[in-house]
Amino acid sequence: MWKSTLIILAVFAAVLFGLIVWDVFKSKRTKTRYRVRSSVTSYLMMLPAVILAFFFIMLPILYSLGYAFTDYYLLKPDDIGFIGFDNFKEIWQELTAKGTIYHAIINTLVFVVGVVPLQIGLALGLALFCNRKRRGVKIFKVCFFAPVVISLSVTSYLWLQILSPAKTGLLNSLLSIFGAEPHDWLGDPHTAMPCIIILSAWQGAGYQMLIFLAGLSNVREDLYEAASLDGAGAWKKFTNVTWPGLRSSFVFVTITVFIGACRIMTQPMLMTGYQLHTVTLSYYMYTRGYSDRWVGLSSAVALMMTVVIGAITLIQRRLLREKA
Amino acid sequence: MKKKLRNLLAAALSAVIVCGALAACGGNDESDKGEVDEGGNTIVKIMFHVDSKSAEGVAYKKRVDAFNKAYAEQKIKAAPIFKARSTGASNYETELTNNKTEGTLADIITFDAPNCAAYANSGILYDISNIVPQETQSDFISLNKYNNKLYGLPIQESSAGFYYNKKIFRDAGVDVSAYTVENPWTFEQFEAACEKIKNYCTVAAVDMRIDATKDETAPYLLYPFIYAGGGNFADEIGLNAKGYFDSAATKKGFDFIKGLLDKGYTSKAIGATDFFTGKVGMYLSSGWTIPDIEHKYTEVFKSRDDWGLLPYPQDVAKASATGSWCFGITDNHHPDKSASKELLMWMTTTESAKEITDATGMIPARKSVETDYAKGSPEDVLLSQLKTTGRARPATIAYPTFSTQFNMVIGGIKTGSDLQSLLNTAATELQTEMNKFKK
Repeated sequence: MWKSTLIILAVFAAVLFGLIVWDVFKSKRTKTRYRVRSSVTSYLMMLPAVILAFFFIMLPILYSLGYAFTDYYLLKPDDIGFIGFDNFKEIWQELTAKGTIYHAIINTLVFVVGVVPLQIGLALGLALFCNRKRRGVKIFKVCFFAPVVISLSVTSYLWLQILSPAKTGLLNSLLSIFGAEPHDWLGDPHTAMPCIIILSAWQGAGYQMLIFLAGLSNVREDLYEAASLDGAGAWKKFTNVTWPGLRSSFVFVTITVFIGACRIMTQPMLMTGYQLHTVTLSYYMYTRGYSDRWVGLSSAVALMMTVVIGAITLIQRRLLREKA
Repeated sequence: MKKKLRNLLAAALSAVIVCGALAACGGNDESDKGEVDEGGNTIVKIMFHVDSKSAEGVAYKKRVDAFNKAYAEQKIKAAPIFKARSTGASNYETELTNNKTEGTLADIITFDAPNCAAYANSGILYDISNIVPQETQSDFISLNKYNNKLYGLPIQESSAGFYYNKKIFRDAGVDVSAYTVENPWTFEQFEAACEKIKNYCTVAAVDMRIDATKDETAPYLLYPFIYAGGGNFADEIGLNAKGYFDSAATKKGFDFIKGLLDKGYTSKAIGATDFFTGKVGMYLSSGWTIPDIEHKYTEVFKSRDDWGLLPYPQDVAKASATGSWCFGITDNHHPDKSASKELLMWMTTTESAKEITDATGMIPARKSVETDYAKGSPEDVLLSQLKTTGRARPATIAYPTFSTQFNMVIGGIKTGSDLQSLLNTAATELQTEMNKFKK
């Protein structure tokens, strides 16, 4: 482990040195002494951040990438062997046999498709509501943002009480007033994922609301006044003034919510456990890596997830940028 | 002047850091037996899975202190490390793995019985077959073996059974006095009792704990039904699940659980305290529940006349839950295990077993511990089960996958999925996992 870390570090240092040399040659300064001094100084200033990024971002990514092609078993860290694409073959076989990973992919897709529009829509609605200059709006802002600062474990537990299958469960008690029978909201494959989507959107929307609010504050008032003079109604003002002004916030929110949604794990883990109707890719990856102890296989799943999410994010950015 | 002062401060700071680092690097010497402290004592590190302030942790600490007193002359000193486990990816196991990677494994560790195979296979545990004398081995209710080698000695034992509300049973006219561990009830008699008591329960006749699929609870409580139905999960060596987990005999045990749900004897909508508040007639749980009933839920269960414990029902075979945490010597960087052996033997003496189980309320792991359980009492039922019908969970290196798959089958039963296809998937995925260990 230390040897490979040192090799990576050496390669990284060499690349860094190469960049400094490149920078020296590319510098527009005339005197070599100044060229070297300015380049070295700027890279030295970057060094603390680069070191942190190396140890806490690059190194784990590189190790994960490497482990994806090994049979790394958590309890045998001294006995890691290169197995080529065997982990990917195993994933493919499980996928074609409609095993757990198949359900994990479907559930993750359902979650992403459900939560991204819901959470963004909710955040936008809340932001528009809070953007009005009315008394008491700050209280609403605090209320809407509160779920964000509460731990996901706590909110999941609260929702477990709400969605309890018992007659005494909060939702079941409420529905029983209308004569409804108690329902196992999280045990029923038809209602479990929608419940998790609603909880997640409720929990996360407050944060995106703040981003939209920041975006809304940048929309100039005179544009609304001009639109009013032109006889535009509320909808026209929204589509022609507010929405274009929120474009960059929207792009940012869409991408971050999408990436966050792809990584969902805590909610199904705490609310239903490892079940076919709620298992997600991240949860699958975690279980295979930590519970089953196959770090190599888990890294292969992580690698595939990173590639897919990265590709979709790039497409998303391109599409949204083109429209802008 | 300012510059000088700054340089002086920098030099002083550097000196402090260097001295601190050197002091941190300094420590005990090493011998083949273990670390040796300044007083020449061989330090035997022992890692526990509980918090030092818990009742169990305090009991361990007392035993360690007593050991240190008794072995002061032999210059062996036990150093306890407490790493409370958590759910999910247990921080206790993470600590173990990290220690293994760094080569800093404690000399003795506690471990959960189902992990024995994986830990032994991975070289975490040391073969203690020749360390523990045969007569000592035979005094334990169960032993932690893998490939016919001994790797662990249990601290305490646990079993489970059906806690029942005597008032509900009396009102329903159900007499269960004949059902003992020696003469247990059958699957049919169990269902007949459920049929009679269900009208006297506001929620369900029995809480089978089918909601407890987020961790080890459901596998631990429900696996005996599969053995009782004649089924199994894997072969003897724990490397073949196909033909076992998906067999007709295994399906029979799961079918029994499914039948209880389909017939309305149990339910998915049972609240955590429904049995304790008199809404459910029976509750499947381990010995941990005894203190809860006696101290927390005294409104319904005022005395032992109000509740009892029934053994697991049987079909073609007799089976009940077993298994708890154990002590094992690690295969660490100290080749001489003589000091570790002394501590292991001390921690598992009859006296230790008594002191620890007095604190936890569990069943002592050693047969020689004198127990004064009244005949037919809940503790007596648990102990009798352990001695006669107890069967361990499958001893396989792929145990975590077994546990996950078991929970998924129970989860599938709850959602009404086809049982045979659930078992086929479980057997296939477990087999894939086991195949990796065959290489």
